[in-house]
Amino acid sequence: MMMNPVLSRELRERMRTGRAFVVVGIFLLMLTLTAYLVYQGSTGSGDISTDLARQTRLGRDLYEWVLFVMLALVLFFVPALTAGSIAGERERQTLLPLQVTLLRPRDILVGKVLAGTSFMLLLLFAALPVMMVAYLLGGIRPLDGLKGVGIICVIAILLTLMVTALSALTRRVQTATLLAYGFTALLVLMGPLLYFTMRVADGSHGFDTENPPAVLLALNPITIVADATSGETSSNFTSNTNPLGWARDEVVKAKGLNNDSWFAWFPDDNFRAQFRVDRRDGFPAWAVGAIGLALIAAMLSTFAIRRLRTPAEAER
Amino acid sequence: MSAVTEATVAESAPVADAPVAVRAHQLTKRYGNLLAVNNLDLTVPRGSIFGLIGPNGAGKSTTFAMMASLLLPTSGRITVMGADPSRKPRTVRRRMGYMPDNLGVYDNLRVDEYLEFFAASYGIARTEWTDLVDGLLELVDLSVKRTAMVNSLSRGMKQRLSLARALVHDPELLVLDEPASGLDPRARVELRELLKTLNGMGKTIVISSHILSELEEMCTDVAIMEAGKLLAAGPPREILERLGGSRNVCVRFASGASESFTVAGDTDQAELLRRLVVDEGRDVVEFIEESGGLEQLFMSLTEGIVQ
Repeated sequence: MMMNPVLSRELRERMRTGRAFVVVGIFLLMLTLTAYLVYQGSTGSGDISTDLARQTRLGRDLYEWVLFVMLALVLFFVPALTAGSIAGERERQTLLPLQVTLLRPRDILVGKVLAGTSFMLLLLFAALPVMMVAYLLGGIRPLDGLKGVGIICVIAILLTLMVTALSALTRRVQTATLLAYGFTALLVLMGPLLYFTMRVADGSHGFDTENPPAVLLALNPITIVADATSGETSSNFTSNTNPLGWARDEVVKAKGLNNDSWFAWFPDDNFRAQFRVDRRDGFPAWAVGAIGLALIAAMLSTFAIRRLRTPAEAER
Repeated sequence: MSAVTEATVAESAPVADAPVAVRAHQLTKRYGNLLAVNNLDLTVPRGSIFGLIGPNGAGKSTTFAMMASLLLPTSGRITVMGADPSRKPRTVRRRMGYMPDNLGVYDNLRVDEYLEFFAASYGIARTEWTDLVDGLLELVDLSVKRTAMVNSLSRGMKQRLSLARALVHDPELLVLDEPASGLDPRARVELRELLKTLNGMGKTIVISSHILSELEEMCTDVAIMEAGKLLAAGPPREILERLGGSRNVCVRFASGASESFTVAGDTDQAELLRRLVVDEGRDVVEFIEESGGLEQLFMSLTEGIVQ
């Protein structure tokens, strides 16, 4: 079986430049610094070596802070490393020779996405030892660590797919980079902004219930990670002293306001019940969010494949 | 199954060997109000070196893009090696090597990696890459640059590398859009020799260029286009004679003197030589047709219309 040619070329080019190693270095340095600061912040108030409860809380807090920073770095590095992947081919005028080979548009897109994803996965797996510092302190199980990295991998893959697809829509790397960062910011901020704006608007009517759809909060990478890492066992130790904890609290509140449904607006109770999280088979926030992002990624990929076709293929 | 090998299965219907390499019939391409190619009728014989000549905006690159299955004709029909690029683009791509007018190369690859990448993109098995790359680099005289980074190559070398890329799947037809642009005189001569070698290997070459003297020396057939229209096509000498064009002949005599004569065609030229040698008994030591025929032809046919 032959490896996707675009993937092997991208990996070769990527690992040949010093940029890849700089990115790995920055990534690990930021995570180590986060772990160090959280640890120092907690132990500064006294020795915790004999206080198991504090150690456990510290372990959990450290885990969530590292996860949050890891997610923030993914949200920063994916656009930086992927935005120019297809726009760069157009700008360098290398797309045309590629289009007259036997590669199909989807092969080109898949190669680009796999290359971007592989590099992000390398970053995330390199960060596993930092994550496991929290395990040594207690408060998380090895499975929690893997779960955390796993869900960030899912977000990294979906975001890489979305940003690569956006890259196919532009002709210049600079435009693609701006578009990618704008889109990522929108992905992170739009749901919460809409949610809180609607909540304020509801509240200002006085007689209206403050229940904007909770799904607006779910469709957000931070919520997805926060929800996916709140396991039953470890939830006892969950704290709201970090952004993941805050996100988790807000989602619980939002669901409460929506009668434990993601879509309180739907009039049909039977349909609405499908989305209740109090049901054992209901959709958890991370699944709702991940499915939402996957749908956006699929839609953008369809557009990208269309844009990668030759004018003749597009006209046909 | 890999992306490429899977893709190659779909269009494997054999195409009968065409008597001509490219045939365009009433080929038209319109971009909004702009008529880029207007009812073009063109036949490129197999085994020829076919020059497509015309000023900027004549429609040469658009015609090439339609040959290369990149653009659909607005109307009319084109067949490349017997296949319609709009219906069977992959069949055409398998039998044709296309070198666009811009040099798009990956700077962070080595020369051999660059060619291997395109070999993979054409579905060529990995086991064949080494021999293939060796052969191609030898052909384009870049063997010594095998492990050099692409960004370290001169423009002429990049041009030759692009040509090697177009040859990676051993196509029968090569379509080269302005391959000599930006090259110094030595590189141009080398490219011309290379194209002659490729033609000697049985490949049909369709080439566009602004450097008419290059084409005149190399092309067996030419087509002159302006404003999307075909003005003339055929072997250069035939076109000249058909259009009643004259040519200059420079004759040097044993005495050291030389004279210039203007003749109308081959018959006139032969008659001049006979007259000088037989009738007048002069010692002719050199009888040279002065270059500029194609240039004269181009200038007399085109009007400098800009679309």
